[in-house]
Amino acid sequence: MSATEDLADVERVLAGDVSSFEGIVRRWQGPLVNMAYRFCNDRGRAEEMAQEAFLRVFRSLASWRRDAAFSTWLFAVAANLYRSELKRIPAGNVALDDVAELMDRRSHLADFEEHQRDRLIRKAVMALPAKYRDAVILYYFHEMDVPSASKTLGLPEGTVKARLFRGREILRTKLPQLMEAPRLKEA
Amino acid sequence: MEDELDRTLSKQDEIVPSSGFVMSVMDAVRREAKASEPTPLPPLAFPWMRALPVIVALGVTLAMLGAVFVEIIRMPVAAVSEPLLPPAVTRVLVQVNADWLAGALLIAFLSAFLSMRFAFGKR
Repeated sequence: MSATEDLADVERVLAGDVSSFEGIVRRWQGPLVNMAYRFCNDRGRAEEMAQEAFLRVFRSLASWRRDAAFSTWLFAVAANLYRSELKRIPAGNVALDDVAELMDRRSHLADFEEHQRDRLIRKAVMALPAKYRDAVILYYFHEMDVPSASKTLGLPEGTVKARLFRGREILRTKLPQLMEAPRLKEA
Repeated sequence: MEDELDRTLSKQDEIVPSSGFVMSVMDAVRREAKASEPTPLPPLAFPWMRALPVIVALGVTLAMLGAVFVEIIRMPVAAVSEPLLPPAVTRVLVQVNADWLAGALLIAFLSAFLSMRFAFGKR
């Protein structure tokens, strides 16, 4: 991703050349669709949300202050939209207690597969209260980088760290068998 | 727990946007850009109905002034000293300050004429 290319495209779009926005869409479609996918776990909806995010970016392009990187601003706009979209129409999640119950049943099965456990963990993350869920999703989206997640959320790093810690605590409480499955498998 | 969570969430599957995604976004962007373009406003219509009484009054006044002017021209020089209008009419005209009224109407007409000319151009 080239910051120079982004800047040049933004300048052209602001000068009235709408087709230059295509460069921005091509460069950032992957990250924005994947970020949306992490919020909703639904491919079709992720693309719809990402499209809406690009439209919002297009509308508010003039409000991008050049003191922040374009990507930081782009992710912040997208994350805000995704969070409000999930507030409006929540993803088809199960409740945290249901995830734990499901795990209890499955953990007795010998063929409990790793990817199923991973799916349960992701479902458990989606079932977290929104403020912890957002911190966890964005932390991993940014490859475990707290400063980037905090910029995207527009929150101080300390707050993001605290929310991450609390989110992990909730997951640990709700999914106590999570670590046991691989250990048993390894043994 | 933390290692397991890190491992699981870090390796989350990456999805590739569908092939028509860029086109779909750009179509939406172009629609948005077109919708936000300012449309030229239609020219304001002149309020002829409201102006009609003023125009009629102006026309009558101008006709009267024209008639008076023509009569003055046609009149022999000796007769100019004689009163042009009957004394009763002259008295009424003096009472309603007809000369000022005519002057005001003339100025109003010129103002309206010039405004319309500036607004609509020479037609």
